[in-house]
Amino acid sequence: MTHTIKLEASNRPEVMERILRVVRHRGFSLEEVLMKQCHTTNSTQITLTVSGERPISNLENQLNKLYDVAQLERAQTGASAVAMNA
Amino acid sequence: MTGAELVLKVLQQHGIQHIFGYPGGAIMPIYDALYDSDVEHFLCRHEQGAAFSAIGYARSTGKVGVCMATSGPGATNLVTGLADAMMDSIPVVAITGQVFSGLIGTDAFQEMDVLGMSLSITKQSFLVQSLDELADILHQAFEVAQSGRPGPVLVDIPKDIQIGAVDFEPYPIAQKQYPLLETNAIAKARDLIGSAQKPLFYIGGGVGMADAIEEMQDLLNATQIPAISTLKALGTVPADYPYNLGLVGMHGNQAANHAVQECDLLICTGARFDDRVTGKLDSFAPNAKIIHLDIDPAEIHKLRQADVSILADFKQLLPELAVTPSISTWQQHAADLKTQYAWRYDFPGETIYAPKLLNLLSQRLPFDHAVSCDVGQHQMWVAQHMLFSSPRNHLSSGGAGTMGFGLPAAIGVQVARPDCTSVVVSGDGSFMMNVQELGTIKRFKLPVKIVLLDNQRLGMVKQWQELFFEERYSETNLSDNPDFVTLAKAFDIPALSINQADQIEDGIDQLINSKGPFLLHVQIDEKENVWPLVPPGKANNDMLEGEL
Repeated sequence: MTHTIKLEASNRPEVMERILRVVRHRGFSLEEVLMKQCHTTNSTQITLTVSGERPISNLENQLNKLYDVAQLERAQTGASAVAMNA
Repeated sequence: MTGAELVLKVLQQHGIQHIFGYPGGAIMPIYDALYDSDVEHFLCRHEQGAAFSAIGYARSTGKVGVCMATSGPGATNLVTGLADAMMDSIPVVAITGQVFSGLIGTDAFQEMDVLGMSLSITKQSFLVQSLDELADILHQAFEVAQSGRPGPVLVDIPKDIQIGAVDFEPYPIAQKQYPLLETNAIAKARDLIGSAQKPLFYIGGGVGMADAIEEMQDLLNATQIPAISTLKALGTVPADYPYNLGLVGMHGNQAANHAVQECDLLICTGARFDDRVTGKLDSFAPNAKIIHLDIDPAEIHKLRQADVSILADFKQLLPELAVTPSISTWQQHAADLKTQYAWRYDFPGETIYAPKLLNLLSQRLPFDHAVSCDVGQHQMWVAQHMLFSSPRNHLSSGGAGTMGFGLPAAIGVQVARPDCTSVVVSGDGSFMMNVQELGTIKRFKLPVKIVLLDNQRLGMVKQWQELFFEERYSETNLSDNPDFVTLAKAFDIPALSINQADQIEDGIDQLINSKGPFLLHVQIDEKENVWPLVPPGKANNDMLEGEL
């Protein structure tokens, strides 16, 4: 099952590592990723497409509790990170 | 002031009087500032010891524990301690020195990517990039460590930032913020509790972490609902509560394990359905609806779907759930289970039966005491046979199961609570993992009492080899252990070795009555195992039981 998640995170240099580590450790594979720093809001916009057998809500909860993650929303199931931002 | 001086100033602003650590090149400016500071530093003999002492300090008080180490190997030695704090949700702040900012990424001497290493073992971690952000990051570290579900936070500070000049500005300490109480969910929970025939509280470490022990005890008194406890919750339910069924799980009391399989409503209160609690997950509490109460949204539905879940601070939430169900048959059944499966101490042999010794020790200790233990058979015996008046008095490495935890944790307890009788119960395997901390006891003349249960084996692994690996005892024989009495004496710690049942009373007396530290070396039979035991992959009511 493929899912796409949009995140707003702080723009600390390690923020992508932190997020990708959680994705891997909690049992998901990364299919696509888009990341862009927004200097005006001092934040990082990230869109992830991940696949995995476990409930996506578990991954969302784990990502949401990262101190560096300010907001998280799930895009439509089956959507692609790249297509959404094309 | 320098960045180093600012670090200590911020610690003091957060009420930190004691820290544990070990100096080295990249953290020398902070150690230099410490020389003139009111913050008292306890030199441990290994950074892992410092991390566990900080954990002991935090667990026994509810305050933040602070540990400090240098870059590279100093920081890597903290890793196991921070992982332990992460698994058991303990508020710890670790400060590490880092090489000069300009040298990061050049493979400089003692340079390691500590931030990268910290990602999976901390709640949050920071590499300070400039002097401007140093104070703010340190304040954030304390806030994050204590907020919501507590946990460890690491702050890595390059040496140039420690020596740079900076102004100190007072910082308002943020008040804790909690989710608003969800009235709809509370109403649903109250309905479920009110209509249940066989409700059961499944109490975890979250109650103690939320400082809500009194509220939990009031709720038990109001509802008279039977209760089972996780390892971290022991001490939350009063020992004389008539429906206190004790420890649940792999080595839990049979009363607790039967009750959880029979209940029709399980009220999970600050616990997380850990595999050592549930046994085979889909057979756990098979007929029960679930109310899941927690502060961490990520625990809800993680392993077991909840019928009602409430995210809240327990101090506010628990009083809202005081519903008194009509469950007299179930209460009687719980009381009967408690009697039927009460622990027995009528051991017939002349050798020392560790559960009996620990139970007697528990009765003899002064009211203000705390027991830190290591990991293995003795840890389960402590959980089963010693009584605690608060989870702050029972320090056990739960989630991580880290051997070597006990001795340094007990040092942390003794520093935090100087008048408390700080006891370590260790095994001969675990004790050797941080044995260097005897040097810390000697240095600070800490009156830590050590009970070393020695079966000359890695006992728990040996028990599993006996039960599940056809008695193939691979690498679990420790019969070449050092002479522990002589070892203790090398650190000015008086010691006594006992091996017969009739020496127990005298041994405990000498241990408790010694003014300073003491080591009681207890030789026990390697054939004694921990019972009951839920074998891996089995349901909780499928317990193996030994013979007395």
